[in-house]
Amino acid sequence: MTTQQNSSGSSFHAARRSRITRQIVMGVTVTAIYAFLLTPILIIILSSFNTTSANTFPADGLSLQWYREFLESPSFLAAFQFSAWLGVVAAVGATVIGFLTAYGIIRYVGSYREVAQSIAMLPIMVPHILISISLLILLTVLPIPELAGLIIGHIIICLPFTVAGILASLDGVDPQLERAAWTLGASRLRILWEVVIPLVAPGLFSSLIFAFIISFGDVYIALFLSGPGMTTLPIEIFSYMQWESTPVIAAITTVQIIMIFGLGLIIERLVGLRQIMRI
Amino acid sequence: MNTSGRLFSTFLFSPIGIVYLLFLLAPIGFFLSMSLFRYDAFELYVPALTTENFERVLTDGYYQEIIFRTLKIAFLTSLFSLLLGYPLAYFLARSRTQWRGILMFLVIAPLMSGIIVRTYGWIVLLGSDGAVNKTLISIGLIDQPVQILNTETAVLLALVHILMPYMVFPLFSSLASQDPDVERAAGTLGAGRIRTFLEVTLPLSRTGILMGSALVFTLSAGSVVTPALLGGKDVQMLGQQIYDLVLTTLNWPLASAVAFVLVLCQFSIIALYFRGGRHGPA
Repeated sequence: MTTQQNSSGSSFHAARRSRITRQIVMGVTVTAIYAFLLTPILIIILSSFNTTSANTFPADGLSLQWYREFLESPSFLAAFQFSAWLGVVAAVGATVIGFLTAYGIIRYVGSYREVAQSIAMLPIMVPHILISISLLILLTVLPIPELAGLIIGHIIICLPFTVAGILASLDGVDPQLERAAWTLGASRLRILWEVVIPLVAPGLFSSLIFAFIISFGDVYIALFLSGPGMTTLPIEIFSYMQWESTPVIAAITTVQIIMIFGLGLIIERLVGLRQIMRI
Repeated sequence: MNTSGRLFSTFLFSPIGIVYLLFLLAPIGFFLSMSLFRYDAFELYVPALTTENFERVLTDGYYQEIIFRTLKIAFLTSLFSLLLGYPLAYFLARSRTQWRGILMFLVIAPLMSGIIVRTYGWIVLLGSDGAVNKTLISIGLIDQPVQILNTETAVLLALVHILMPYMVFPLFSSLASQDPDVERAAGTLGAGRIRTFLEVTLPLSRTGILMGSALVFTLSAGSVVTPALLGGKDVQMLGQQIYDLVLTTLNWPLASAVAFVLVLCQFSIIALYFRGGRHGPA
């Protein structure tokens, strides 16, 4: 009797010990993976306050000189402004088209939903340089302004994400509400405008922000489609880095990182990032 | 009502239809069919059918080496992303910590900061004056800075870092959607932790593994900017060849043939992954 109790007690302790060991191993592994994910970003932020021009680490001292250099550089400032403008235009375009598509998928394709959804996801499966080169060649054939090509390219790469994000928001809308409005005589367009849009407003807003983020960070579309007077920030940085690499890049990218993290937190508050990341 | 409904759904779908047909599918079709055109120094391309572009890409040793390297780097990137992404996805899917929201955010946020930002981070880390070399010297492992930049290792490290989140999301959703009772049942029936993982959890997350691997493989095979900045002259990948041929050499038919080979590699790997997924057990 007593021996039995003892053995069950010690096996209980053994199980507990092995659980603690497992948790420690898991904790160390996960921490190491996070360190790998976040170190390059932390290094950028730290080296943006460096005093010397080389990319040395740890820094020799603290200064804001690289931020001043960024603010005094007309080409980087112009690129930043252009990227922000392009991001807003592309985000509005991709959200409007994405909303119409998502609403159509939810209410009008019935059992073909999966098929329609995967067609909308097409641009994720195609390499972005292929999209970009093809648009460039299209511009040599059709009389379309280059700027329009760049905007359309950005709308294309944002669409899979806006469609998926808005679909997730629309899933939470009760179709009875629309049916009620229809019975009361509202037109389809009016239902869309006065019933559906207000209900998914947070989803639409986070889709706008998310599309802005994708457009702002894009290199591959702009690699072939940006030209004089329409250089995006990533392309400006890319061409600068091919010749030299000073902490001014660190200062610019730190500004960008802070902006993106802030926007990401807004999405997290509105609908949760997980919802919008679901592809 | 039925006609107006059809009219309305046409209204809903025509914007994306026009954008995808006119600006995605048609131009890609046109560009890829250019691989059968003859190159001309003055007119760029002449629509006369020829297979010379493909012959050059497939027989030229220079391109063979680059195709092989691209496939190798893409394969290793998806392998290492899986090895690092799986524990992370498993932890995020199973842990009940209150920090889970923030921990998810910390996986997504680097992804959103863009390719250029993260590639630059690795330039700072891996340079001869960078943190990695300084750390290795200070702990006495080496006395001279080692060359990491402009090697395949640098490209691989950065690509794994940049693309790993794409592995974590599909893994996370397939792990999070598993019924925890299945694992518990295996435990009750006497399977140990490791056996439960190998015979229950791992096979059930196959979809996530395949989707994530296919996605990371495709994205890394098509990369241009990261190998250009971290690999230098010696680590050329297919994407850079296409870039040079389109913008510098202006040989669009050859660029198209190279792009065709790249797309073919990507799609055959995806097909392979999904065939493997269907024929395996479970």
